[in-house]
Amino acid sequence: MRKILFIAAMGIFAFMAIYVISDAFFAKDASEYQYEVLSPWAEVDPITPRGISPRVDTLAGKKIGLFVNMKRAARPIQAYVEKKLKERFPDCQTSYFDAPSQKYLADNQEKYAAWAKEMDAVITAVGD
Amino acid sequence: MLLANHGFVDDAHSAASSKNMPTLRVLGESVTCESTVAEDIKSGIDEAFDDIVAALTRPLTEQEKSPQMKIEDAPRIAFKGNLTEVNQFFYRKGWGDGLPIIPPSEEAVAEMMEGTDLPADHVVAKIIPRMGKATVEKIAVNAVMAGALPVHMPVLIAAVQAVADPTTRFDTFEVSTGSWAPFLVVNGPIRKDIHINSGSGALSPGNLPNSAIGRALGLIVKNIGGARKGIEDMGTLGNPGKYSLVLAENEEDSPWEPLHVERGFKKEDSTVTIFFPNQHAYSIPRGTDAKGILDSIAGLSPRIMNALMMIPSHAEILASEGWTKSKVREYVMKLGEADSAKSRPQRGDASATSPNTPRDALMIVVAGGAGTWFGVFKSTGGGILGNDFVSKKIELPKNWNELTAKYENLVPAYVRY
Repeated sequence: MRKILFIAAMGIFAFMAIYVISDAFFAKDASEYQYEVLSPWAEVDPITPRGISPRVDTLAGKKIGLFVNMKRAARPIQAYVEKKLKERFPDCQTSYFDAPSQKYLADNQEKYAAWAKEMDAVITAVGD
Repeated sequence: MLLANHGFVDDAHSAASSKNMPTLRVLGESVTCESTVAEDIKSGIDEAFDDIVAALTRPLTEQEKSPQMKIEDAPRIAFKGNLTEVNQFFYRKGWGDGLPIIPPSEEAVAEMMEGTDLPADHVVAKIIPRMGKATVEKIAVNAVMAGALPVHMPVLIAAVQAVADPTTRFDTFEVSTGSWAPFLVVNGPIRKDIHINSGSGALSPGNLPNSAIGRALGLIVKNIGGARKGIEDMGTLGNPGKYSLVLAENEEDSPWEPLHVERGFKKEDSTVTIFFPNQHAYSIPRGTDAKGILDSIAGLSPRIMNALMMIPSHAEILASEGWTKSKVREYVMKLGEADSAKSRPQRGDASATSPNTPRDALMIVVAGGAGTWFGVFKSTGGGILGNDFVSKKIELPKNWNELTAKYENLVPAYVRY
């Protein structure tokens, strides 16, 4: 009888040991372990945002810049915008700035700035 | 004001904000992207025209005159939770790539930074479009997430330097509708030190460095550069290469000088070379003599800013008949050029050649295993973009030998069945 009780006690002990170990090493890892994690999102330098240029009260009689980028739809879009502008504001003037490549624009920043300065308003079409 | 297809309005706002003009008036229109149909353009602009006029004449609001940028709440510790919760939190924040991540705990990130001697706050580069600061710590956080090892840090730091080099035109490729993916070729002794596959199936899943380095770079681009899919990264169809497109050159089995030596580095240097393809064409040669191999390669029209992936056995056949990399390049580009020019959509001045892009800018890399396939990875550039391949030297930390020893046996050991 004592032998049976001893075996039963050992069995209960073994069961409890397995339960505790599995709880500590497996269950906790899978669902209970708490990770304090760092953010992958980068910081940026503080910037001072710029406001946009004042608007004109009407496009009548104004000089409207039409900026065209490298994409093939940009030019025909602007050509149609120009047609519409001239229909509604017959005395407005238009001027194109074509940037046939991104490199061209990067290399001609001064030319672009000088052109934009001459305009009362600018419409940019990117063809997408 | 800026006129863009409705699908590009968010992108335009992000671009304007990153250029310090968060209140730029962006007007969405319905013209088909890159439309060639006059009626389509007419109806899209007719519909938008009153709003175009209004955008140019409506008085500015106080916010438009003097915009206040929202101060981002970006605590260093992002979250605390179990594995599932961390993964779901990162996914919801848009910081993942759809696959599970390894939680970037303080301890894991510190261990990752053992792969460099640079301090945690060292800014390796600022990455566009957001100009996020790629500090060593932020690179390490993203590397942990991707499952990379500390020994991968030197490659990642060099890769970040490479994408930040304006010559790559990463500003275009990273976010372009063309869905270009960064392709990294690693040369030099580090290939063997960290077990980057250059052989059979090098670009398939299954090798930790090939997979984790590219994955980490993708997360860096997203979380540090701020190029998020469908917002700033406007890749129309997307590209599975954005998960990872990394291999090493098989220098030992190549009869030619390795890529990095060709590009001016010493053989004992380790380097990473990068460019951005969006097409991967594989083929077999019509014959396994030099002419059969070369004419078949030319049939895939390799040209400027393409990479020719050549298996060692083909390279050996060519070299044995006196073909150098330079002669191969000249031959296949000349043959392939005519077909390529016919099929290319014309945008801008496509005939122009940038002085920055030599006519021989066809990268030849010897890699791959048994078989008879070759590949051409196609990008674009030169004339309209002025881009070129960029190689950066990989700097190793002082503890490199001890560090690599820790992972010496970390390679797959497949059991025969």
